[in-house]
Amino acid sequence: MASAILSNDPYNLIITGVGGQGNVLASRMVGDMLLQSGFFVTIGETFGASQRGGSLMSHMRISAESYFSPQIPRGMAHMVVSLEPTEAIRVLKDYGNSQVKVISNTRPIYSIGVISGEQAYPLEKDIKNWTEELSQTVWFINATDAAMELGNPIFGNIIAVGALSGIGVLPLDREIFRKVLEKKMTPERVEQNMAAYDMGVSMIDSQTI
Amino acid sequence: MRIYGPEQLLKDVRERGLCVECGACVYLCPYFKTHRGKTAMLFPCDLTEGRCYAYCPKAEVDLDELSMNRWGKLYETTPLGNYIQVLKTRAGKNAPAGEFQAGGSVSSIITFAMTQGIIDASVLTDREGLTPVPRLIKRTKDVIKCAQSKYTAAPTLEALNIAMHEGQGKLGVVGTPCQVTALTKLRSNPLNLPDFSDPVSLVVGLFCTWALNAHQLESMLSKRLTIKSIKKMDIPPPPAEILVVETEKKRIEIPLDEVRPMIPKGCLICPDMTSEWADISVGVLENEPTWNTVIVRSEIGAEIIERSVMEGWLITERLPEESLKHLEIAAGNKKRRALTKTFEDKLLNNQGGDYRSSLRLRPEAINKILEPLKE
Amino acid sequence: MENLAEEKKGSTLLMMGNDAIARGAMEAGVRVAAGYPGTPSSEIIEDLASVSKQLNMYVEWSVNEKVALEVAASASYAGLRSLAVMKQVGVNVGADFLLHLAQYGTRGGMVLVTCEDPGALSSTNEGESRPYSKMMEFPLIEPGNFQEAKDMAAWAFQLSEEIRNVVMLRSVTRLSHASGNVILGELPDINAHPEFRYDSHLMDTMAGPIINLPGTVPFLHRSQQEKLKRIAEIYDECPFNIYTGPDRPELLLITSSACYLYSREAIYLLGVQDRVGLLKLGTTWPLPPTLLEKHLASTEKVLVVEEVLPFMEDNIKAFTASIGVRIGVKRFYGKADGTIPVVGESNPDIVLNALSTILGVKYEPVSTDYSKKAAEIAEKGAPPRALTFCPGCPHRASFWAIHNTQALGDREGFVCGDIGCYSLGAISCGFDTLKTLHSMGSGTGLASGFGKLGNLGLDKTVFSVCGDSTFYHAVMPSLVNAIHNKADLTLVVLDNSGTAMTGFQAHPGLNVNATGDDVPAVDIPAICRAMGAKVSICDPFEIEKTQKELLKAADDREGVKVVVLRQICALSPEKKGKKLFDISIDEDICIGENCGCNRLCTRIFKCPGLIWDNEKKKARIDEVICTGCGVCASICQSGAIKKKEIQ
Repeated sequence: MASAILSNDPYNLIITGVGGQGNVLASRMVGDMLLQSGFFVTIGETFGASQRGGSLMSHMRISAESYFSPQIPRGMAHMVVSLEPTEAIRVLKDYGNSQVKVISNTRPIYSIGVISGEQAYPLEKDIKNWTEELSQTVWFINATDAAMELGNPIFGNIIAVGALSGIGVLPLDREIFRKVLEKKMTPERVEQNMAAYDMGVSMIDSQTI
Repeated sequence: MRIYGPEQLLKDVRERGLCVECGACVYLCPYFKTHRGKTAMLFPCDLTEGRCYAYCPKAEVDLDELSMNRWGKLYETTPLGNYIQVLKTRAGKNAPAGEFQAGGSVSSIITFAMTQGIIDASVLTDREGLTPVPRLIKRTKDVIKCAQSKYTAAPTLEALNIAMHEGQGKLGVVGTPCQVTALTKLRSNPLNLPDFSDPVSLVVGLFCTWALNAHQLESMLSKRLTIKSIKKMDIPPPPAEILVVETEKKRIEIPLDEVRPMIPKGCLICPDMTSEWADISVGVLENEPTWNTVIVRSEIGAEIIERSVMEGWLITERLPEESLKHLEIAAGNKKRRALTKTFEDKLLNNQGGDYRSSLRLRPEAINKILEPLKE
Repeated sequence: MENLAEEKKGSTLLMMGNDAIARGAMEAGVRVAAGYPGTPSSEIIEDLASVSKQLNMYVEWSVNEKVALEVAASASYAGLRSLAVMKQVGVNVGADFLLHLAQYGTRGGMVLVTCEDPGALSSTNEGESRPYSKMMEFPLIEPGNFQEAKDMAAWAFQLSEEIRNVVMLRSVTRLSHASGNVILGELPDINAHPEFRYDSHLMDTMAGPIINLPGTVPFLHRSQQEKLKRIAEIYDECPFNIYTGPDRPELLLITSSACYLYSREAIYLLGVQDRVGLLKLGTTWPLPPTLLEKHLASTEKVLVVEEVLPFMEDNIKAFTASIGVRIGVKRFYGKADGTIPVVGESNPDIVLNALSTILGVKYEPVSTDYSKKAAEIAEKGAPPRALTFCPGCPHRASFWAIHNTQALGDREGFVCGDIGCYSLGAISCGFDTLKTLHSMGSGTGLASGFGKLGNLGLDKTVFSVCGDSTFYHAVMPSLVNAIHNKADLTLVVLDNSGTAMTGFQAHPGLNVNATGDDVPAVDIPAICRAMGAKVSICDPFEIEKTQKELLKAADDREGVKVVVLRQICALSPEKKGKKLFDISIDEDICIGENCGCNRLCTRIFKCPGLIWDNEKKKARIDEVICTGCGVCASICQSGAIKKKEIQ
């Protein structure tokens, strides 16, 4: 069951993105999945102002033993799942370390400063290099494009959950995910989300091989 | 001509209090707008060169360059500027009747030009209460609504800019010296815009010694009469020293000393009393308030005067020598006063960069102007 | 949270602190709940509203927090268990009533939940409400984790009935909006019947009239003191005060609330469990005297970790001084000596630094090389995200018109701001329009004052703005003041049909309430007219008309003008997804950076739906983000932005 499966206890996961990307939903789903597997889950988030164009982080502590602080101490993230490329870097500045693993969506969301021409958005290749420099392993996935194929960019967050499962650092179970979905949504939506989840898993499989 | 941007325009003109609300900067873009005769900048613009600065009659006006462009020669140092002849005129029997300030020559000339197809529409200034309202007039019968002197600063050129924006051409414009200066800068295409075409066919300039801030005047007069019912305003020739304001029921006289504080500072550095850049310049003939003094400056101006006389729209007579002399003295004094003040306020012939000028003129011309007028 | 009432006793759920508090109240059989939306408190009333029919409860979004407290108090006086919910600033609004409530005492258990915002993540201040408990002499409790949020919420009602007074339960963002494992308890059968008794004599606080009068105050106040003594006794035995650590620790760390989670983790990370004794207090006013004395006596050094004010720190120091003859003098660390920052929210690193310094233990989670490199990279790699109005937000259009009115009006003008999404009118997304910003209703109060300074020589147009919910909450009295005193001002009511900033809760302007019932809407323009203001109504998306109306109001120097700008919020459930227009840009007409435009739409208007294409040097519409409101087409002077009505 719970005990020796975690590589670190507590395991510190950060899911980050821009307000409106479904960050909070993703963290709840992952949390519910792990709760059902018998873990203690602690999630810390800020919301409110974030919908109005701001960054958003969910800090998740997964433990077989206990609850922990909803804010992860600095430099102690084990895994960062970023729904937006520059948000990964923003998180790594405060919570990264040389052993951290990162899953990063490659589709940018421009800030109001960028689209109004005031700021420059960094180049894709620079973002990739920097992310790699600041972590042990990075998986880049184009979750938004894949989500568009499924019919809606919002599925990007579920694809990211799938990818996280695929990597295997956390005991995320496909059938438990289905159960979590069934509690929240209609059968049709469940299938759509399962397709997104599976797509995320396959994106990791193709990279690892 | 040195051209800068809106941030410099704010520093050089707005912040120094030199704006005369001529409207040249209004409606060129979304940033400068007017409301009830007052110009405001809505949002900051960071361009280093803009038409707002290029057209402003208080910013980097190079009199020699302007004169070369307009007349093909350097700036005249004589009091009345470049001209062909000076006449005494008034509206003829075939001109539409109306409430005129004096001789009705401006209304007659403009209406005539429209009926003859010399211009398709005219940019004139109307009044609501004391608030000046720029208008683009397309029907001849509406010209008379804009007759009579306003004595307040007016953003007339806003209507010109709107007309240009809508693709109108062959325009006639009636303006004060500052407005005509701005217009002349505009017509010279100072920014060398490749798709520029001159929308103006006729410029009628008005004589002007100074104007008054409309809001301040309204504030003062509203205590003494109903602003909406003002019919006419007049400043009789010296030695009267009064501003006369008439409504249907009242006639009040205000000592000029009480209104002088309302003169925009920009008027005090204006060297132009007779609208030296116009085709035709018109003023009241002193001591004969039903007649106008008209200065004909260009060929187009001469042609229109000639034709309107022939068609019975205008009556002309020889201008008495005495009147011409008095006009020259008055104009010469204004020019001298203005150049002196411009120099004292450090707004003349500055080196550039952060030290920009309001006016530029070759030194010999300045010296000539500042010599006292010979009897 | 999905139906909280469905979940059974014994099941473990991943719950937000707020959901846990709501469930705790349900498990205690709460019957009436009232509150006003405020981050981070709003979910509690929302949760209770969603189960209200099922559990036969009355749940209300009150017009403001003072009334919410009064509504909850009414239920308590009728013998029912009741809950009042608000954020920290709401307690300030209810403070006058709270004083009298606490002085007289309660009948049915009554709990005041305050959810606070250290660090001002979603507030205009960093205030807190714990000092009210000391000042107004009622008990204060603070849950230290998610299970406690539920358990202590339930226990609070019991405590309230035992001592017959209101109990304040204090939470913070990092508990209210954070989630953790919670094991649920039992939902009781509800059979309490309301009965309001008042026939007995004045001194009978359970059955007499509920009167605070000069004659009765000494008696009531003395009873209040007796209650405090009894509470202290209860607190000494309270299971929510937990000590872990050695009998004689080198350092005693006293903490409460979310700081407990940080402190616990900090001790664990530094490996100093044998040196540091962790005393988590769940009951923080009055202090539990026997418990505290025992632990203070066991050490020489005390570190107090809390946020935001040094409330516990000061009280514990005073207590320590009072028993100094028995336990001696102690060395205190905390906010007073700078060990813990005085400003901002707490986190594990603050406690780690404090312990590291006091105990001389080195702590470097990340190498300085990594930190330095990461900081450098982040400067270029993570451009900051400024807050802005959502695409299609009516406030962007309203502030455009209001801002231009201030620039164009006969007199230059300024705008006093208020609380809501439209508070962003103070920054560039709102064209830096607001010039004052304080608390609910303050904009119009200030404007009422500024609007009289014209007589003393202030030559400016005075405007204030408020939202629809704010109007009912606090603006109405200020408006009466302005009208009656003939102040020269214009109030612009930004009516977007909901309390948007906090998640679209209902308010008196709508015909639907918190529990989804049909209710009469209270009409804002009618109220203003009845008060005697000159009222007009516009749609802010019709920019030119709106600006004209506002200019008319600005130039009118007589009395109070109210302009109601009505347009529904872009995020409103009714509106979402419905586009008015298809927007496109004609690149041949677009002037771009050149004189005549200089990128007005992307440089100044800055709707997220407009993108500046730096290669083509033209503006472009982001079709995914654009909500089709059409306002950008109205402000484009060159006519490059086209809008086509969608049938």
